[in-house]
Amino acid sequence: MTMTCDELDALLPEFMDGSLTEGQQAAAAEHLATCNQCRIEVSELEGVGELYRTHGRLQLPEESRRRIAEALGLDTGVA
Amino acid sequence: MSTAATSQAPAPLPTLEHLFTEFANGVYTLAYRILGDRYLAEDVVQETFIKVIRSLDTYRGEGPIAGWLYRIGYREAIAATRKRREQPTEDDELVRRADRPIESVESTVMGMELARKLDEAIASLSDPLRAAFTLRDIEGLTTAEVAAVSDISESAVKMRLARAREALRIQLKEYLA
Repeated sequence: MTMTCDELDALLPEFMDGSLTEGQQAAAAEHLATCNQCRIEVSELEGVGELYRTHGRLQLPEESRRRIAEALGLDTGVA
Repeated sequence: MSTAATSQAPAPLPTLEHLFTEFANGVYTLAYRILGDRYLAEDVVQETFIKVIRSLDTYRGEGPIAGWLYRIGYREAIAATRKRREQPTEDDELVRRADRPIESVESTVMGMELARKLDEAIASLSDPLRAAFTLRDIEGLTTAEVAAVSDISESAVKMRLARAREALRIQLKEYLA
């Protein structure tokens, strides 16, 4: 049993979480195999997370890291 | 103590140094994404780990320690937004608009430009959407952990994630081809 674009749209969070039932997962996969528009949308939605994981994570500035570690009395091995 | 005896004992709690090394950047990312101000975000990191130091003994191993620690960081960041709202300073908005973390993982011009676009796009989300997206899609917590950190239901998390991802997808379309 396949699903419609709207049905897939309603289940997208679960689809991206991998928490659909086996039957739903198969129906979603079947729909994506034939619907170019949904395939692009899912790919872009997954790409958003990848973009942020690759380029959007921040690093505590080294000087601040050292200052905070010192204030906390931690020995983190930062020279 | 023998190796065999050690292997049967409960897993020891990670040291504070380990937690700081492992999660300081994550708490900083979360706090910065919520507050949009690197100095306030740094304060949140420090306050979070002060609370971790005070309460690590009370952590009983229910659930991953990342969720427990991010919950403290999230509460600190939300408290900082409330404090700023109640006690605004003249240059708060100026700082919020101009401030960007000076130490980015990106070093190329193109990378810096992309980082700026990502900053602007995520800053346009509401606080709840930004927090849910940061915890789930950037920091990698599970939906259940995000729900526990934020004190909301899993279905509310899913709704926030769907709205956040869709808004970001539209704004960042040129980078998603």
